[in-house]
Amino acid sequence: MIRALEVFYVPLLFLTVTLVGGLRVADRVVFVRPPLSALVLAVLLLAALVRCGAVAPQRLMNSGRSTLQNLSGATVLMTMFAASVQAFNSVIPESGLPRLGVIVFLFVLLLNTIAASNDRRHVLRSTAVILGSSFVLKFIVLASLSDPAGGWLQRVLLATLEGVTLGTLTQQPVAPITGYVSFFALALFLGGLALLPRRYDGDEQALVTARQFRGSAK
Amino acid sequence: MKKSGAVAVRWRDMPDSTIRAIGLALTVCGFGGILWVYSRQPQTFAEATGALSATVGAYRVDEQAFADGFKFFHRDQFAAARLAFDRADPAHQEPRTQFYIAYSYYREGWGRMYVDRDLFARGLDAVNRAIAAAPRGRIVVDDANLQMRSGDELKAELEAGMQAGTEVNPLTIVRRQRK
Repeated sequence: MIRALEVFYVPLLFLTVTLVGGLRVADRVVFVRPPLSALVLAVLLLAALVRCGAVAPQRLMNSGRSTLQNLSGATVLMTMFAASVQAFNSVIPESGLPRLGVIVFLFVLLLNTIAASNDRRHVLRSTAVILGSSFVLKFIVLASLSDPAGGWLQRVLLATLEGVTLGTLTQQPVAPITGYVSFFALALFLGGLALLPRRYDGDEQALVTARQFRGSAK
Repeated sequence: MKKSGAVAVRWRDMPDSTIRAIGLALTVCGFGGILWVYSRQPQTFAEATGALSATVGAYRVDEQAFADGFKFFHRDQFAAARLAFDRADPAHQEPRTQFYIAYSYYREGWGRMYVDRDLFARGLDAVNRAIAAAPRGRIVVDDANLQMRSGDELKAELEAGMQAGTEVNPLTIVRRQRK
């Protein structure tokens, strides 16, 4: 991994996600602390990324690196974990049945990703789909249902299912800026994941070993 | 052009340990800042900078604006008093000013047969801010014109008002406002 990326850009990027992931703008600005479930989901995501080789912790921390190099490697991993927690915090609905449903949905999807995928590209794409679909559910579908002025979806549902009550589905309305900020945070997060050092495949590993051998022979 | 190139070369020539130490320090500061923001929940940029300067003991209220607010408060011009107090303490970090803001909400929200719960709720927020900002949570003002001089008394009075019913109640006519 390029030094500037490891030392400055990637931690800064993940810290930005960590900061804005919990931001909610309504009648006042609130920084929502992540729920415990977001921590569990972040651990699962980390496991999926390490398992498929999208993140190679051994390239960030190993015995061949100095203490400071290992520390900055650990910083990358820790900021990445914090950003994952906040990415989930940003897409999990705030209350009611949707909150429970989305947490279970994300939990099952991540377990499935861990079990089924060994390919880096596949897991990164899957992560984008998981976070993207949760984002759409929270900031488009549920926001429309919870719109006090009566969003388009609310009108369609009420017209289709006469007498339906949306009490368990509606959320505390937030300002549209919250959705834009969350979108920005998720895009940054996915970009950051793509920048992380991946595990070498067989050919690359051979090249690296040869380069190291040549270096030590000189 | 030449100058920025020279800076770039110098940056690249810096020892690896120095660059990594700078990166680590920046990350630790950034993470600390995020923890601080999530624990203090600042609402505006003024609140954020004010709370930061209060943390290092450099926060000062505008004494002239406070004096104006104090004068308005004792003339029962509560809205004007709050404007002046807000100008005096834009970051909501000074316990005494927040106490007076809370008191102004209490005095304005108190009615003989009902209380304005919205104003009382704002008063409760302000007195909570005052208590949070005061050393060991103890706020006592030296003002002979006030019947309640401590944050605890004011908070209890505001909480009692919040628990009262919203409807007009003739039975409450015997209550006394604590000036």
